[in-house]
Formats: sequence, C-alpha cells, structure tokens
Amino acid sequence: MSLELATTAVDRVPRARTGPLAGIRVADFCWMGVGSVATRLLADYGAEVIKIENRKRLDTPRKLPIYRGVIRAYGEEDTDPDPNKGGLFNNYCRNKLGVTIDMSVPAGHELAVELIRRSDLVTENFAPGVMERWGLTYDFMRTLRPQVIYGRMSGFGHSGPNAHYRSYGPVVQAVSGLTFISGLPGREPSGWGLSYMDNQAAYYASAALLTAILHCQQTGEGSEVDLSAVETGVGLIGADLLDVTVNAQATRRDGYPTGNRLQHPHAAPHGVYPALGEDTWVAIAVFGDVDWDRFVAAVGSPAWALDPRFATQQSRCEHQDDLDAQVAQWTRQRDKHETMRLLQAAGVAAAAVQNSQDLTDNDPQIAARGTFFELDHPVIGPALFEGTPMTMSRSEPDNWRSAPLLGEDNDYVFGEVLGLSPERLVQLSEAGVI
Amino acid sequence: MVAHSPVFTALRVVELADDPGGEQVGKLLADLGADVIKVEPPGGAASRAVGPFADGDSAAIADRSLTYWTYNTGKRSVVLDDSAAGRPDRDRLIAAADVLISTARPAELAERGLDFAALMRASPRLIILSLTPFGLTGPHADYRSSDLVGLAAGGLLNSCGYDDHSIPPIRPGGNQGYMTAATLAHCGLLLALIERAKSGQGQLVDASMHEAIAVSGELANPYWFYPRALVRRQTARHAQPVPSQPALFECSDGVWVYFALILSDRRAWAALVSWLDDRDMAADLTEPKYLDLEFRQREFAHVQEVIEAFFLVQDSTAAYQDGQGRGLPIAPVRAPEEVLQDEHLREREFFVPVQLPADKPRTAEFPGSPYRFSAFIARPRSPARLGADTSRVLAELDGDGSHHGGQA
Repeated sequence: MSLELATTAVDRVPRARTGPLAGIRVADFCWMGVGSVATRLLADYGAEVIKIENRKRLDTPRKLPIYRGVIRAYGEEDTDPDPNKGGLFNNYCRNKLGVTIDMSVPAGHELAVELIRRSDLVTENFAPGVMERWGLTYDFMRTLRPQVIYGRMSGFGHSGPNAHYRSYGPVVQAVSGLTFISGLPGREPSGWGLSYMDNQAAYYASAALLTAILHCQQTGEGSEVDLSAVETGVGLIGADLLDVTVNAQATRRDGYPTGNRLQHPHAAPHGVYPALGEDTWVAIAVFGDVDWDRFVAAVGSPAWALDPRFATQQSRCEHQDDLDAQVAQWTRQRDKHETMRLLQAAGVAAAAVQNSQDLTDNDPQIAARGTFFELDHPVIGPALFEGTPMTMSRSEPDNWRSAPLLGEDNDYVFGEVLGLSPERLVQLSEAGVI
Repeated sequence: MVAHSPVFTALRVVELADDPGGEQVGKLLADLGADVIKVEPPGGAASRAVGPFADGDSAAIADRSLTYWTYNTGKRSVVLDDSAAGRPDRDRLIAAADVLISTARPAELAERGLDFAALMRASPRLIILSLTPFGLTGPHADYRSSDLVGLAAGGLLNSCGYDDHSIPPIRPGGNQGYMTAATLAHCGLLLALIERAKSGQGQLVDASMHEAIAVSGELANPYWFYPRALVRRQTARHAQPVPSQPALFECSDGVWVYFALILSDRRAWAALVSWLDDRDMAADLTEPKYLDLEFRQREFAHVQEVIEAFFLVQDSTAAYQDGQGRGLPIAPVRAPEEVLQDEHLREREFFVPVQLPADKPRTAEFPGSPYRFSAFIARPRSPARLGADTSRVLAELDGDGSHHGGQA
C-alpha cells in the first residue's frame, strides 16, 4: 500500500465524474482485451468503473512488454514485470478505478459481494465457470441488487458444447469465417494481422451494456447479457453468408476470395498500389464511369488511360491485370500522401496506407478531430491514448486519469464506497486480502 | 423473454444512409425492435444494386440484393423523390422521429438541403447520428472513402497481408471498416439516448469511420505510443515489430488450422508434445533437452516441421476438438458454409429463419443477434421490399402522429 500512496498525486484522487453515465457504478471483473476495452467506453463517458484485480494473477496486459524504449514481440511476456509499466494496460484501463481482491479467501469474497450490492452493473469475461465457482450468479446478484445488469463476454457464449473452448482474437476470427473470407485466391488466407474480433466483441459488448442501461433507466428492469465473440464474428461476415443460405453458393471455390479486388459492386481500378519508398502503398477505389473520368483527368489523361479497353466499368474489370499494372506505374513514382491528396482533390476515393506513425504525426484530420489525447501516468509518464471516434454536441468523454496502479484505489473504494475503517483496511492489506 | 424492449419499440428512427456503416446502425436498432424508416430514392438505396443477388447475379434487381438484406433487416422502406420535391415529406418524417441516421458528407448535406442545426432547433429532442467517412469537421471532411480506402487511411490495412511484402497489404473481407465504424457509432447513439432520458435534449453525434478505424488497430498504436515501434504485416497472424513463426497449418482435408505456439508457455508445450506422442508423431520432441526453452528456440525450425507433418495427416475438425480438449487454443479456418454447420452454434440456435421479401413465400437463415438479454430480445426481422411502406408511413404522418412498431 505504501508504495501506491507515495506515488499517488492529488489529481489522481477519485472525484465525481461527468458525462451521460455519471452516477453509474460498475463492479468490473474484466481482464485481458475484450472485457477491458468494453468497459473502457463506460469509464470514458462517466461511469465509475471499478476494476477488480488479483495480485496473485496479474492481468496479462500488465505483463505484456509494450514498454517505453523496449521493442519485444507481443508473445514475450515479461517474467518479472513491473505491473505499473505496461503500455497496453494503460491504454485499456484509462479512466477506471483499480482495486485488488483475493477472491479465494472468504474476506475477499465478502468484499466483492458488498461491492456488487452497491453497483449498477457487474461485468466479467473469465472462462465460463469462474464466476459460478465464486457463487456469483445472476440470480444471486439479484438478491443483492434487484435491478443489476450482469454483462458476460466470452469466446463462445455461456452455453453449447464448445462453451469451454479456449479463444482469443485469431481463434475467433478463424472459427467465425472472417479469416477464410480474407486473402488472395488460390493460396492460404491472409486473414487478420490483429485481434480484430477482440475490438469488435468489445464494442458490441459496450453497446449491449448501454442497451441494458437504457432499458433499465426507463423500465427499472435489470438484465443478464451474454455476448459471444464467435457469434459477433459470424454476424460480420456480410452478404457472402446469405449467398450460402439463400443461393447455396459455397465460398470454398476457385477465385474466392478476391483480395483487394471488389466484385460487389464491380469496381476498377480497385486495389492497393505501390508508392514511392520501400513497402509503401496507396489504396485507390474507382467505382463507375464518373469516378474513372475524374481519375483519368487527375493522372493527366495519359495515353494508356484512354485505351478503349478501359473505357467502361465492365471492360476495366475484364482487363484489370493490365489496368492495375498501369496504375502501379503511375503510383510508384509518387509519395503515398501526395497521391491521396491529388486524387481526393479530383473527387476520387484514395488514401495512403497509413501506419501508426502516420496517424500520430502526419494526419491533419486526426489532429483536427483530436482523436488521440495525452494523459500523464506516475510510472510511464505522459502517454498518448486512442480516444472515442466521435464528437457529441452535448456529451464529452471525461478523460480524468490514466490507468490505475495496481490497487491504487483500494482506500477510496473499500473505505469510502464500502465504508470500511482505516484499521480494517490495514488488516485486509496485511492479510493479503486486498 | 420473448418480447422486444419497450424502450426500443417506442423508438422511431429515420435512416438516410447509403453505405453499409449507416445501414448497419439502423439494422442494429431495428433488430432491437425500433421502428426504423429507411428513406430511399425511387431507384432504391445504393445497396440494392450491390450483389450478390438471390437467384444469381442475372437477377440483379432491387428486391433481391443480399447486400441490402444483410444490412437492412427489420426496417420499413419509404421511397421519396430525391429531388427537392421529396424534401417536405422527408423533413416531416425527421420532425416526427427520435433519431436521424445520416451518412452524408458536408458537401452532400448542402446538396440535399439537410441542415442539422435547423432540424435540431425545430425538434429539440431529436438525436442526429451522422456517420461519415472522416467526420463532419476537419480538413478531410469531404474526402471520399470506401471500405478499402477507409481501412488504408485508418491504419488497419497496414497490419493485414502476407509475409511476402512484394504483395501489398490485403483488405480483409466483409466491409469491416464500415462495420467498425457502425459499432462505435451505435455506442455513441446509445449514449445520446441515455443522456436524453435525463436531460430531455437531443444532440448531434458526429462519428467518423476514419477515427473508428484509427483507434481499432489493437497493438499497432500502443507499439508506436510506447516503444515507438511500427508493426509489420505477417500471414494471418499478428503484425509485430519483430517477425514471429507461421501459424497456419494445412490439414488432411485441405482445411487450414490456426495454431500459434508460444514456445515459452511450458503448459502448452507439454500439451502439444503429449498430443503428438499419442499419435506417434512427436519425433524427438519428447527428449528432455526440449524442456529447455533456449533449446526449443534454437530448434524452432525443426519443431515447426514436426508440427506441419503432424497436421498434414489430421482432419481439421478432429484437430480442433482434440487440440481444444487438450487446452490448446487451436481453430480451423472455416468457410462460411462450414460455420453454418457448426454444432455449437446450432445448439445455441444462433441462426434464425427470416422471411425473404421474395415473390414466393420463402425463408432463409440469417445470423442472429450477437448479444442475448434475459429481459428482452434482439433478432433480425424481414427486410422490406423497395417502397413497401411508403403509403402507410406517409398516412401515419397525416394521421394522429402515433408511433407504429416495425413489422412483426
């Protein structure tokens, strides 16, 4: 405790929050990626999200070596991590409060129960069965708080033969079909270079929690919410899934998927083309004859662009290999941002393939919209954060604090929210309960 | 348990959306029971012209687009003249609505005579969700976009593709740029509804696909924000600042499985070796020297070869069940038609029959709602034929103004 107290600056002390969710308290058992990102949105908009952690089993993002000044692969966990140094944890847990509870001892369990009694929402994304082992079922929670909203997130949902299967983003993407539908024809899928479904499952979970809050706000009725990441992924396949159910058209066929080429609707040129510089690219999407005329004018009406083979959308699609080669000849001589500006000025959809440095340092739109913002952190120092991607005329995110240090808010939550005495807090701390 | 939430059935939404992002937000609301009135021009919304089509591409007509059906379940369709003649009815619909969904860029708003400030002055409780490629403000507010272009600009595309970097980054399938924007915009709209219930005031939610994608790169931005490293794409696995081992393995049935072995995970190593050994395919991996992490790392090429040979004689479904049974996070790379047969999804009754707006009565399975509530339901309902609800909706406007729920 003393370490946390020593590093806790005055401006990190919990205060009344602002925003549409001010006054809503969340007992947040979430960890890893999906759960933490899901409750982050609630914390951003004013909910008092109390993240419940276990000192004996640190949240993985606290251990992943995304540190200042050290470049290591994601899979290389730090064997002796400073739990307060992880950048990914900071990113996921901003605006939340943090407490530590050892759920395996009765005194710890009792703290959790008292916290649930005073919370509007309870959230978790453990492997199915963990909350049940603690006796923390929806039925039990309703005896503590009749209107409680209990949000559960898992890979496969809480019923069905595979409910216990292990999953993370790439597994969800593979099982749900999203990996298969992504790639060049005739070879292995390129799939996803990220845990896309960690984000989408988290965003859907945020939406589900907000939906349940809205329902409760106006009817007084709570709800249990079960979100399956795999089902979320299947729901995002798009029209190719209906092609199976309506037309019995299998996707495991020659020529599928089509990489960067677009079949529905037909578009050409439609692709990612080389730009000046090694492994540097620009995306261009030309949808119809009006677009094509603009494109031709923008590239200076060269002879190749006036070739009759490229005169109509259908003909451009039929001769796409030759068309792409010509477009690539033109794009490779130019900076990716220069191409984007030139084509956009002509009314053609185009963008540099931007990396995170481009987004941070070289994107006037991100800068003007204030998408990224900075918060200080006692161990990490000032850091950038990914904000919410919208501007609301009456509601702003309340970005009051970076992620909690391990157990940083034990005194506030157990003392002020639960009303325990300072002496009791010392006892619980010395006994390793908190 | 079987009914929609009364909060959503009382919600009246006017949708002026001509991309999958705005349409998806309307669908999410309609699946919760909201009365979503989709305003379309006489030829139909752009998505009605996008395939694939029911009964094949030769049947390319407005009422057979699977793209339209995907993003427009449970809405009512109203056709209004998209010239100035249709504007008074459009504006009356908006004035009677709780929510307006718009995907128009600033220049398009001006062309279409849509003035958000004036609409909100006239209807102080109106919530306007604007979901546009770059947002309504800023130097790129009128930039054009598409799913590919949005994913490129927002950085997600930079993480996706093959180990071979002579191949450009590859766009993942399914309009995921628009879908990312839709989910986050949906959250913004729900926040505005919660706020309105307290204040009685509507507001403008100005959401941007570019920003939605820019904040959804998972590790890419943290790697830049903290160690100032840029991630590089790798085949079907996490883009990383330093390369990692291939994670796709081909099985005997021609299906790939995803399996990323973390060499430092002793439990996973033991589970893998015992699995290989049970099939008499562990080669020398059972030898004690492999218990040493550094030795495993040095021999990784050999380890990878043993795993490749093993999967080549496994059926992918059996490998999925056996591997998961041993606690290994392994998954078959399933095609959509295989996803539809998944016994787990079947037992959870995830797919739901939806009546198709076809000439002959017919249903097809649609994906159900990804979230399940104990207190109310969310599920897709039939998509509407073009203009099916025009006269009824306009009559409602002329009548007592009472709200009608979406189609049952």
